[in-house]
Amino acid sequence: MTGDAAGSPPRTGRRRFRLNSTPARVWALTVVCVVAVTGLFASANTALGQARSGLDVLGRDAGPRAMATTDLYLALADMDARMADVLLMGTDHDLGSGRADALDRFEASRRQADEALLHAASLTEGDSVEERTVQAVLDGMGAYERHASRALLLNDEAEAPPGRVDEEALEEYRKATQLMHTELLPKAFNLGLDSSAIVRQNHEEGQRSVAWGMLTVGGVGAAALAALVALQLYLRLRFRRRFNVPLLGATAGVLALTVGVVVTLELSNDHQRAAKEEGLDAAMALARAGAIATDMQADQSRYLGDPELADNYQQVYLERAQQVLFRPAENLEQYYAAVDEVADAYPDLPGADGPDDDDPGTLGYLGERAQGSLLPGQEDALAEVLETYERLHAADRDLRAAARDGDLAAAVETRMSVADSRDGAFPAYVTALDELTDLHRRAFVDGIARGDAALTPWRLGLPVLTLTVLALVALGVRPRLAEYR
Amino acid sequence: MRLRHRSAAVATALALGLSGCSEALGEETSVLDAESITVGVKYDQPGTGLLGPDGELTGFDVDVAHYLTERMGFSADRVELVGVTSAEREDLLVSGEVDMVVATYSITQARKTEVTFGGPYYVAQQDLLVRAEDTDIDDVRDLEGLRLCQGRGSNSARRITEGLGIRVEQTDAPSYGACVDALREGEVDAMSTDNLILAGFLAREPDSFRLVNNPFTEEKYGVGLPHGDVRACETVNKAITEMYQDGTAGRLLERWFGDTGLDLVTSVPQFEGCP
Repeated sequence: MTGDAAGSPPRTGRRRFRLNSTPARVWALTVVCVVAVTGLFASANTALGQARSGLDVLGRDAGPRAMATTDLYLALADMDARMADVLLMGTDHDLGSGRADALDRFEASRRQADEALLHAASLTEGDSVEERTVQAVLDGMGAYERHASRALLLNDEAEAPPGRVDEEALEEYRKATQLMHTELLPKAFNLGLDSSAIVRQNHEEGQRSVAWGMLTVGGVGAAALAALVALQLYLRLRFRRRFNVPLLGATAGVLALTVGVVVTLELSNDHQRAAKEEGLDAAMALARAGAIATDMQADQSRYLGDPELADNYQQVYLERAQQVLFRPAENLEQYYAAVDEVADAYPDLPGADGPDDDDPGTLGYLGERAQGSLLPGQEDALAEVLETYERLHAADRDLRAAARDGDLAAAVETRMSVADSRDGAFPAYVTALDELTDLHRRAFVDGIARGDAALTPWRLGLPVLTLTVLALVALGVRPRLAEYR
Repeated sequence: MRLRHRSAAVATALALGLSGCSEALGEETSVLDAESITVGVKYDQPGTGLLGPDGELTGFDVDVAHYLTERMGFSADRVELVGVTSAEREDLLVSGEVDMVVATYSITQARKTEVTFGGPYYVAQQDLLVRAEDTDIDDVRDLEGLRLCQGRGSNSARRITEGLGIRVEQTDAPSYGACVDALREGEVDAMSTDNLILAGFLAREPDSFRLVNNPFTEEKYGVGLPHGDVRACETVNKAITEMYQDGTAGRLLERWFGDTGLDLVTSVPQFEGCP
């Protein structure tokens, strides 16, 4: 088109381009149409690009990183749990799955914690507050290991029998576990929360910019439609033709492009939201439920190994249990009964909308999961988690009953069988929880993939459709302009 | 007060011509966006939040509230502190009469259904306050058969009786202050609540009382925020982390409770997370 104009003799060209002549008006309207269609392409391209990069950040960057930070807390809690077990075993190296197994697992968790810390250090570059937190955890790890290995050495030297941790070893272990629970675990947990916050901020910014993109595409698309209709009407009036078919085609193309892109953006936003909420958020909440339960079950060993602080360890066991699954309970007996009730009633949940106004319902990490919408297979997996959780507490009841009756040997044996990595009640709970978590991890990966799949056709579709529309405009206008040559 | 915030926020949004859009686009409103902020603190607890005869509120919570609001972007002249009682904290937050609560406010699962908690900024523990001369009580189990006072509406005695199965003779006084009076007069043998609150009373009369310092539960003091205000919650958490990193938290704890013999924890607590 522009080739025609440039090729025209300059003298007549000046006359033609005055707006009061018909060809000049056709030209002007055509330019408006082309600009609007090009603008539509640009805005759609930007919005689709934002949607794509939003999915990319969540699916391949911030999301997986956030999952990785929850590993740090789990690894640290597991280290302290294994150490408590080994001290409690004393000279009987064959209790449960044995001392060598516990020490191997301690070592594996230590390596995992190191790795997670290095990972966290690379993520927090540039944020001085978080960098200091990572550094503090690194320093604390060294101090923890010194206390822990000294406790182990002292206990071995004293040849402490099972269940009777040596006094000096206990002093050292108290320092270690105190350090773990006041310095290391809180900071590790908070780092995980920080990365969740980053995911949320990225996600919401992404969703907002895509929503703005939808508005822009809609607005520019409407402008392009208006321009095409105006051109159509002008040609119809001026040239007394019924319809300009190529222009009709271009109009239909713009309509399809606008509606198609807006619908796609909406769809990809929905997939992204599902990936985050049903996938990532749920998987991370469950990972926390696993990490806190790891610390909780180790309170059994601490309770048996440190009689002086037994009341405290029993209390924190209950407090951690209530973070995992909350039901109103003043003491462990009430809590055991409440957990039984939840496991039996599921998928119904006790307390919700019940007669008691003071009962807030079934809450905590597991309780809140149970209230959420269901993925396929989730109900069965969650039922299994609740059942294994119930069995874990049934073993806890036996353990404490034996301890109260003064049968320390039986209590220690129960404890070590709970932790037994082959068939213990705690590993069974972890396995069930992992299966449920995997469902959500898959939902996360699937949601991202669906979002990507919705966007993919536009990679080629957008330029092809835009060029087609522009070609149709040219086809529609060119014969009319030719009449003025 | 609150009305003014809302209308200011609405005016700003209208000025931008986005009021409808920004909500449709998922921009959640937050106390961070308001012109000023109203913070509820205690006014009857020495050490944590106390209204002095000069009309000034002082205490650890008050100082924490000032630190946090500054980090949230409010200059001192845009922060208003108001005294609140334990019973009215949820209602005031839900109705919007206060934007934030820093008032020895324990995070519980039940409260989390109505309030979003930043923090905790400190994890206190339940402990016992006894008369200085009573050296026989070293542990909560020593309370068996003794007279125990708790502030009305508090849950602390139940934790001892039901939680630990210890039989005590329980007295409910209208306030913590009244318990302290009863303890001084010998009408009860011990009072029990969070160690930070007990330490605040102890600091006023260090010769009359003694903190047993053998705590048995955790009380996570949270920063109460309107339910769902995730942005403010995350900002508060970051500010609390900094408060511990830059040594402010340690200094404040030392300033208010340093002379009481209380074991103070000066590293950042484990946060609850912002739902």
